[in-house]
Amino acid sequence: MDPRKIIICRCEEVTLADVLEAIEKGYTDLESLKRYLRIGMGPCQGTHCIPIVLRILRRATGKNAEELMLPTSRPPLHPVQAKYFLGGDNY
Amino acid sequence: MRYDVAVIGAGINGVYTALELLDRGIEKIAIIEKNYPGSGGTFRCATGIRASFTSREHVVLMKRSIEKWKELSNRFGFPFVQGGYVWLLSREEHLRNFKEYVRFHHSLGVPTRIVDPDEIKELVPTIKTDTLVAGVHDPIAGKSNPFTALLNVLEYLKKSGVEVRYPEKAEKIIVENREAKGVLTEKERVEAETILVAAGYGSRDILSTCGVDAPINNLPKHALITEKYREVFKPLLVDWETASYMVQTVSGGFLIGAELEEEYNRPPMNRIEFLYTAVRIWSKYFDWFPSTHIIRYWTGYYVMTPDHHPILGPVKDVESLYVSTGFSGHGFMIAPAASEAVAEWIVRGKPGIREAENLTIDRFKEGRLIHEIAVFG
Repeated sequence: MDPRKIIICRCEEVTLADVLEAIEKGYTDLESLKRYLRIGMGPCQGTHCIPIVLRILRRATGKNAEELMLPTSRPPLHPVQAKYFLGGDNY
Repeated sequence: MRYDVAVIGAGINGVYTALELLDRGIEKIAIIEKNYPGSGGTFRCATGIRASFTSREHVVLMKRSIEKWKELSNRFGFPFVQGGYVWLLSREEHLRNFKEYVRFHHSLGVPTRIVDPDEIKELVPTIKTDTLVAGVHDPIAGKSNPFTALLNVLEYLKKSGVEVRYPEKAEKIIVENREAKGVLTEKERVEAETILVAAGYGSRDILSTCGVDAPINNLPKHALITEKYREVFKPLLVDWETASYMVQTVSGGFLIGAELEEEYNRPPMNRIEFLYTAVRIWSKYFDWFPSTHIIRYWTGYYVMTPDHHPILGPVKDVESLYVSTGFSGHGFMIAPAASEAVAEWIVRGKPGIREAENLTIDRFKEGRLIHEIAVFG
């Protein structure tokens, strides 16, 4: 299948071809790939794309999980509407 | 291999200084980074860029920086959007202070301007201005994307032979006969003619390994970002009453910072009250804000000096040792100008911009602190 038609990150519309090209350019850890391609920066917070990219990267580089630099998890785990932090009786 | 220059820290200032050195014909450069490029302040920053400061040093350097942001964004294909800044003032006394700042800006060629609530509405569609007495508009300020601003340049550096070593922790600066000779990392001894410390919040520790005391303290700061939305407004907004800011980043998310009481040098921890504080401030201005989705909250450091100005240039007591740190919350925006100044210093012995000479580390011992009236957000 055409790697340009395989979506790896749905939030940021990143394809397999984008990921392979970035690895080719030298982005061989997840923290850097995240900033370069924005994988894991959308509403899913990387729960869908990061495990997939981790596998691709491991195959491509032979690095172990620590060397691949799993991105720091940031709260909230899921997108939360701002209104829940207004306080008061409304919500 | 002996390098011409070893840079400790692959944040925006380390990377841009390496670029400026390369542009001046210095080829053997190593950048040593303990985590990953951009991992300290650079990738956590608010992305804003402005020259409307309240000290001569900041204004002159930041004006140069804005020129360079235009050049660099064209050269390396990343965005620089000159969307301005707007300060939102809700008290007459603040307006009086700002009138004085505006006069100061004009004296140095920064065209800020007091604007009334109707003009604020034009600059910032959908904002509610009923609590405001006035605003201040800085039309030459802007914003960029810290990810591509760093990574695109880093790609070019690597192609040009600069060695980017990460993750590799610099553990000690080696000094012999009061001259810096190299860096001992967790892996090996790296020899270099010149050492540059651009290590952000880690600068104080690494400088202490060669007996240099940098009066830097790291202050935890908090920021959140929402999902991406289509463009609502271009300027970065500062709510002066609460020292909180909001910017729609070039990627489309609304990024907000707000003040919490913090202690210096505490680990940067997430605190849920930040989310309440930030949401309350900005829901007052935008009816739509409560329905946006917050997707991420992070904490990082402002690397503060006693006078809130950076430490740049050579260290008197140690030959061949240079510093570029202590940006006190403005390291991203000043990076192009600070890097140019430090590279000039290393290559030609002078920083080019004269005001940079006031920013050496020795000013603290010699009592030549710089006075800045306002540090925002």
